[in-house]
Amino acid sequence: MPSASMLSASLSGREPVQDVALSVRDLNFHYGTHHALHGISLDFPARCVTAMIGPSGCGKSTLLRVFNKIYALYPGQRATGEVMFDGRNILDDSINLDMLRSRIGMVFQKPTPFPMSIYDNIAFGVRLHEKLNRTEMDERVQDVLTRVALWNEVRDRLNAPATGLSGGQQQRLCIARSIATRPEVLLLDEPTSALDPISTARIEELLDELKEEFTIAIVTHNMQQAARCADRVAFFYLGRLVEVDTADRIFTNPREKQTQDYITGRFG
Amino acid sequence: MTEPVISPASSSEADRAGSESGRWRPGRKALRRQMLDYVATGVSIVAGSVLLLVLVSILWTLLSRGLVGLSWATLTHRMGPPGSGGGLANAIVGSLLQTGLALLMAAPVGLMCGIYLSEYGRKGNHFASAVRFVADMLMSAPSILIGLFIYQLLVVPFGHFSGFSGAVALAVLALPLIVRTTEDMLRLVPTSMREAGAALGAARWRVILSLCLRSARKGVTTGILLALARMGGETAPLLFTSLGNQTMSTDMTRPMASLPIAIYQYAGASYEDWVQLAWTGALLVTFGVLLINITVRLSSRH
Repeated sequence: MPSASMLSASLSGREPVQDVALSVRDLNFHYGTHHALHGISLDFPARCVTAMIGPSGCGKSTLLRVFNKIYALYPGQRATGEVMFDGRNILDDSINLDMLRSRIGMVFQKPTPFPMSIYDNIAFGVRLHEKLNRTEMDERVQDVLTRVALWNEVRDRLNAPATGLSGGQQQRLCIARSIATRPEVLLLDEPTSALDPISTARIEELLDELKEEFTIAIVTHNMQQAARCADRVAFFYLGRLVEVDTADRIFTNPREKQTQDYITGRFG
Repeated sequence: MTEPVISPASSSEADRAGSESGRWRPGRKALRRQMLDYVATGVSIVAGSVLLLVLVSILWTLLSRGLVGLSWATLTHRMGPPGSGGGLANAIVGSLLQTGLALLMAAPVGLMCGIYLSEYGRKGNHFASAVRFVADMLMSAPSILIGLFIYQLLVVPFGHFSGFSGAVALAVLALPLIVRTTEDMLRLVPTSMREAGAALGAARWRVILSLCLRSARKGVTTGILLALARMGGETAPLLFTSLGNQTMSTDMTRPMASLPIAIYQYAGASYEDWVQLAWTGALLVTFGVLLINITVRLSSRH
């Protein structure tokens, strides 16, 4: 497990990272009888992009779905171990799921615009947690849409249905919707795998800006993407964490042979 | 091609492709397949035409026989003795009242039941499987049976027929239709929508109401409208429940007239003007149902 000092000494030349937003210790996950994650321990430094890579079924998405406990929607799925966030273990049953999910947002693989206007898509999540007057809400909507570089494209049709947007716009809207509740952590589950290269590039640029403010955990199948936007990369294989390090190190000089084989395309 | 060709357009097809080899001619098997294909297409077109012909001839008969009797008096006068110049006003009002009340009873229950089946009663839930099975049974139950059931339940104990019992019978008829379409439409809403709602910190009921039901609203409304159309044309459930009434009555506790019952009573009568009213009533019912169906088609297209 590389420490913060190791990070700052790495080849990346990026800002040294001090605090840790999410700290995973000895996490195990079960889908019914299937043991999907084995003793994962991993830190997610605050205001960094941490990418999780690995072949299909390696458990990277499963891990992401632990952080906002979205797995709890499905009976039979359970996690044991420790995931520390803001001083508490979120795996505790006493954690309020609605509060947790307002602080840890998630964006999914396929854009999921709600069946309502662009404006209401943003306002929906905000209204769940805050009471804003009309002006404040307008400001919030404009603010998040500006941050995902969507404002100029949709400012004239905020009341149009969100389903009329293109795939890339829809995904940026979903990111805007997630950051509108002012979370501390943003979870991205292959957010660009359903998008064209131009939309993908825009979202990657966006990640670079968003990490100034949010801790970002991204699952991706695309290793170029991990190399381009991640500060740290964690490689998973068969439900185990094989290696985690700075992006530069993972892609230039990984310690484990399995990592090397995967990033060079020898399997996976 | 002996000389170099300057422009490909100048050479004919045969020049460029060489002469035909004979493998282009279909063999016996291929010819047989082609013939079979023509025959199958022809038979299908004939079958389709038969169906269309049946509907068109029904509509044509209705129009030609019913339109003659359609007048302002038919719509505003109540039913009366033969030769008195009676209309269908009380039957129209009765039909609207009974189907309206039936819809008010069936729609909320059906909607909530559909939500339960889709959102809480997924696989492995025995109670939900039982409800689903019963709904399917009820959907294919003969409607006269529903009428008899309500007769025992709401007519016999009170000692008289009533518009209310008619409405209940119609509601029982519509309920399974609304339940199953609501469930089917909600199931079409992708899981990702539910997860995205939950990921924003929305409670389950809010995800269901604000997101799932909202994105399925077109299909759900369609189901309710189709149930309404089905109720509007039913006679059997009303025979033993609201019975029919010659006078204008809006009292749900008394026997009540309805268009299907009026058609049933008048169509077999030996008075010319009653038979004419039956045709006109049939025209009204059919076009009412047709109107609902067309509304559904148009609204689901956009």
